[in-house]
Amino acid sequence: MEDFEPVIVAFCCHYCAYTAADMAGSLRLCYPPNVKIIRVPCSGKVDTIHLMQAIKGGADGVYVAGCLEGDCHFKSGNAKAARRVVYAKRLLNDVGIEPERIEMIMMSAGMGERFAATAEEFTAKIRGMGPNPVKLMRATAIRDPHNVSPAHKESAAV
Amino acid sequence: MATEKQTEPCSDILVVGAGIGGLKAAMDLSEASRRVVLIDKAFSIGGLMARLDRTFPTNNCDLCTLSPQLSETGRRQHIELMSGTQLSAVQGEVGRFSASLTIAPRFIDLNLCTACGECYKRFPQWVRFTPGLDHRAPTCMRYPQATPYAFSVYPEASCHKDELVRVCPAGAILTEDRERVETRLFGAIILAAGAELFAPAHLDYLSRGLSVDVLTGLEYERILSASGPTHGELIRPSDGKPPQRIAWIQCVGSRGINTADVSYCSSVCCMAAIKEAIVTRERFGNDIETTIFYMDIRTGGKDYELYYQRALKEYGVRFVRCRPHSVVVGDAGQLQIAYLREENGRLETERFDMVVLSSGFRASQETEDLGRRLGIELNRHHFAEAGGFSPVSTSRPGIYVCGTFESPKDIPETIVQSSAAACLAMETAGRLDPGAGQVEAVPPERDVAGEPPRIGVFVCDCGFNIGGVIDVEAVVAHVATLPEVLVSEIAGHGCSSAAMERIESAIREKGLNRIVIGGCSPRTRETLFQNTLRKAGLNKYLVEIVNIRDQVTWVHAHLADQATEKAKDLLRMAVGSVRYRRPHTDLVLPMNKDVLVVGGGVSGMTAALSLASQGFKVILVERMRELGGLAGQLRKSLEGDDIGAHVRSLVDSTLSHKRIEVLTQTIIVDHSGMPGAFSTGLQAGPRMLYRQIRHGATILATGALPLRPAEHLLGEHGAVVTQLDLDGIIEDHPDRVASWNTVVMIQCVGSRTPENPNCSKICCQSAVKNILRIGRLNPDARIFVLYRDMRTTGFQEDYAIEARKMGAVFVRYEENAKPDVRIVGDKLTVAFEDRILGRRLQVETDCLALSTGFVADDEGTEDLAAIFHLSRTADGFFREDHVKLRPVELSVPGFTVAGTALGPKSVRESITQALAASARTQALLSRDTINLGAVAARVDRKRCAACLLCVRACPYHIPFINADGVSEIDATRCHGCGTCAAECPAKAIELVQFEDDVITAQLNGLLERLN
Repeated sequence: MEDFEPVIVAFCCHYCAYTAADMAGSLRLCYPPNVKIIRVPCSGKVDTIHLMQAIKGGADGVYVAGCLEGDCHFKSGNAKAARRVVYAKRLLNDVGIEPERIEMIMMSAGMGERFAATAEEFTAKIRGMGPNPVKLMRATAIRDPHNVSPAHKESAAV
Repeated sequence: MATEKQTEPCSDILVVGAGIGGLKAAMDLSEASRRVVLIDKAFSIGGLMARLDRTFPTNNCDLCTLSPQLSETGRRQHIELMSGTQLSAVQGEVGRFSASLTIAPRFIDLNLCTACGECYKRFPQWVRFTPGLDHRAPTCMRYPQATPYAFSVYPEASCHKDELVRVCPAGAILTEDRERVETRLFGAIILAAGAELFAPAHLDYLSRGLSVDVLTGLEYERILSASGPTHGELIRPSDGKPPQRIAWIQCVGSRGINTADVSYCSSVCCMAAIKEAIVTRERFGNDIETTIFYMDIRTGGKDYELYYQRALKEYGVRFVRCRPHSVVVGDAGQLQIAYLREENGRLETERFDMVVLSSGFRASQETEDLGRRLGIELNRHHFAEAGGFSPVSTSRPGIYVCGTFESPKDIPETIVQSSAAACLAMETAGRLDPGAGQVEAVPPERDVAGEPPRIGVFVCDCGFNIGGVIDVEAVVAHVATLPEVLVSEIAGHGCSSAAMERIESAIREKGLNRIVIGGCSPRTRETLFQNTLRKAGLNKYLVEIVNIRDQVTWVHAHLADQATEKAKDLLRMAVGSVRYRRPHTDLVLPMNKDVLVVGGGVSGMTAALSLASQGFKVILVERMRELGGLAGQLRKSLEGDDIGAHVRSLVDSTLSHKRIEVLTQTIIVDHSGMPGAFSTGLQAGPRMLYRQIRHGATILATGALPLRPAEHLLGEHGAVVTQLDLDGIIEDHPDRVASWNTVVMIQCVGSRTPENPNCSKICCQSAVKNILRIGRLNPDARIFVLYRDMRTTGFQEDYAIEARKMGAVFVRYEENAKPDVRIVGDKLTVAFEDRILGRRLQVETDCLALSTGFVADDEGTEDLAAIFHLSRTADGFFREDHVKLRPVELSVPGFTVAGTALGPKSVRESITQALAASARTQALLSRDTINLGAVAARVDRKRCAACLLCVRACPYHIPFINADGVSEIDATRCHGCGTCAAECPAKAIELVQFEDDVITAQLNGLLERLN
């Protein structure tokens, strides 16, 4: 487990979180390279399917980063995203995966420090939790020739 | 009749000087559809900024910031760029200037030179090393991103032309080339000719010229620069070893009385030295000791004080307050600096490996000659004279000035002045025919629908920014192995014109139909690359930008291997998803050209009048009963101009202008829309009636508040006043002033404190202004100024010198030993430490003036920031979009800002900003349509079950169930957040540009290596 490097997906809204990541860049703040950003116009665009696809594909942690509460560029997209994150957590719980692997985080465009700190904390948390159990399950499943999971096939989780 | 025709002003505008100031002016004019001729005496444009290494406060690479502007200038349709060209004479007058342009021989055909560098490579024996640390070859390009991207032959090497002809594979060498003169007509002229930096070959008391390790600031920047002579390695010129102790000496040649000195302050050197010290420690290690010897630290710009504090506290830069007596070269070549310790007055000597002389701006002989040729007034320091309330107008109507030709200043101030000059030039020079050459010719779009993906990947190394951290070669090699990738290569500086051309030709030659750029943030560069695709005949949405710089190399600099892997991951994600990118058409709406100006102070009224004079309708909203704002309380400026009279004339012009509607006692309550189609709700008048207005752009000029802290008995004792109060007392009660024996002033009251860390910028000049006026009314008055750093920058320094000559006593105090103000008997006394006398003094005073400065109108900006979705700084001022390049734009498109709403500043600076905001607004409104981009939700009617979830989810109530019983979304009204797409249970809604398969493909690109 010592050389476990978690793979983390961060869905970042264009107006706040993604801009905060740029800000972290221009301030040269260091954070772990485990976090990979996918840019979306608004956190409200992040579908439950995408969260579940990430976990199913083997991501060890996923977070949605949107604007601060009440400050969404699109009024309420972040609130909807937060609701979907709660829903996705419940789905994880139902299938026996730690719900803490998915989180909602809020920050403003100026919060470069917050972006870096979040990446740091979330990575540390996931590192502590160990690899996504899906990967272990798949490792066992692969031995069964009738159950090779095509990685590109869409999840029917919702 | 011919005379009839001559009265019509010529619409072309001449910009002289293509440094950052001239570039900005030219680009603003071009954006507003004005035709511009941009000339520069050098063969490649960029001016001084192109030679700097990094800029504060973000410590970004200068060239990275500048070069996209350079290449854009070369490509912009309305700009005709003439390098190697000087303005030799101007006949005629405003509206019809006849200008003679002298074009120097280049000996190279610009149309043929491919900048291959063969000529430069083959003649290393002619490479010279000059004190400017610039390599000079017989042919020369000053930096890798030079524009025009071509070499030039120095006249002194022209005897070798035959040999050059032999080596030039492009046949671009001209054996015959001669100086030419062209005469052209212009409606207005902008002078952005710059200044030079004081760079003496010899200054014996500082060992300049005796030791090669004594450098000027610019030479030091060249050493730090990746494109400099050491390729960015910090080494000592004498022995090529890395230095351990570096000293900066401030005010070399400035604020002095020696023969070679000038009296004024160069304004930028404090921030430049702090930046150089920070960059040194950041890039080359904390074990390098950096010491700055200074007289006053002048960090008065927006958030500059915070940068200074960071240098002190985070970076451990050492600051010593002393102008060193001398630099002496020791036996072993070491540099010894002798200086006095402020705390005990003792002489100390310290050894350093390198000494950097912070030498400031000088008017050059060339600009002085230019000024004289044009017949414009110059001040006594030979800079162009401009008025107190017309800060970019020279004495000759129709000729405007910006940048360091006007006075020493930094990049943001230059940019603001340049936009202001562009604004006035537009007013003078009439409008360009809107039909003339509006649309840039681009080839028709290739239909890629039937083609299999043919992906080209271009990864920038961005100098050290990317290439200095990750193994770009390995990344490119990895990407080349991915399916459907036909081209995978290193793009150098991808935003340079050469790289753009390379991408364009790769698209054509290899028939690429999807492009991935590994570079910096799509937030800043997406449009640039989209334009390149479009020029190559591809739809602009077939590109994916991977932000390697901001998300990898800048933030994982210490983990080279992992950073390289992450760069591969991110590129794999992009390669996976770009194949799903589809061509889109932008949505277009008509442009509303009315402007909302919020705030009726000097800035708001100046902007409103400027726009109204150009035919725009303006709605000016003021929350108070009267127009005038904070400046309405001011009487005189430092230069003696009558602010009160100026404000009154602005109010009269504003109220009587037929295109300005003034709404006083009015507040903003709601807001929606986009640039060119905003809608804002107001509550107007004493009865607060609600009204909605439609407008295309918004200018915020909401001002700041004068600070009145409950300190030093302010508000408790009648003799304690602020500088603002004193300004009025001097005008209205000169008899009272004449009766005073003693006046004490305390600077930085309520500023530069832990609660309000920034400098209020205007208090030092207010104090000096009031000292001079008191001195004139009452020459016998004793005046004490208790200060921390006197910040009379630029030519204000001359007034500070006058105040000292008048006998005012300046005594320094430390933040932790503030003056002690008490009432003793019926007298007001101030006690303070005098370091020079080494004792504590107590002074009875008749007037105590506190320099209290400005603070943000926190409640006001908070409300407006919430309504307009704008961001603010920690101290409550609005935050500009880019501190260097977009200093009057806000982060929300369509919004500009002027005056003290951005931070403390003088009336003159506020006027400049207001004109700049007007220019930027005119640029936005010059088009007749708004481009909405392509992002919008699209419904698949076959899948829609009319469940109403989208109708409920949309924050803007755009979707509705139409007559056919399916959801319909008006793309022109859709804001493009994608919430409906995420909520739709049938997956009947897709968000164009962020389609589900694009996102899924990104995930797969990342995760497939796990499976």
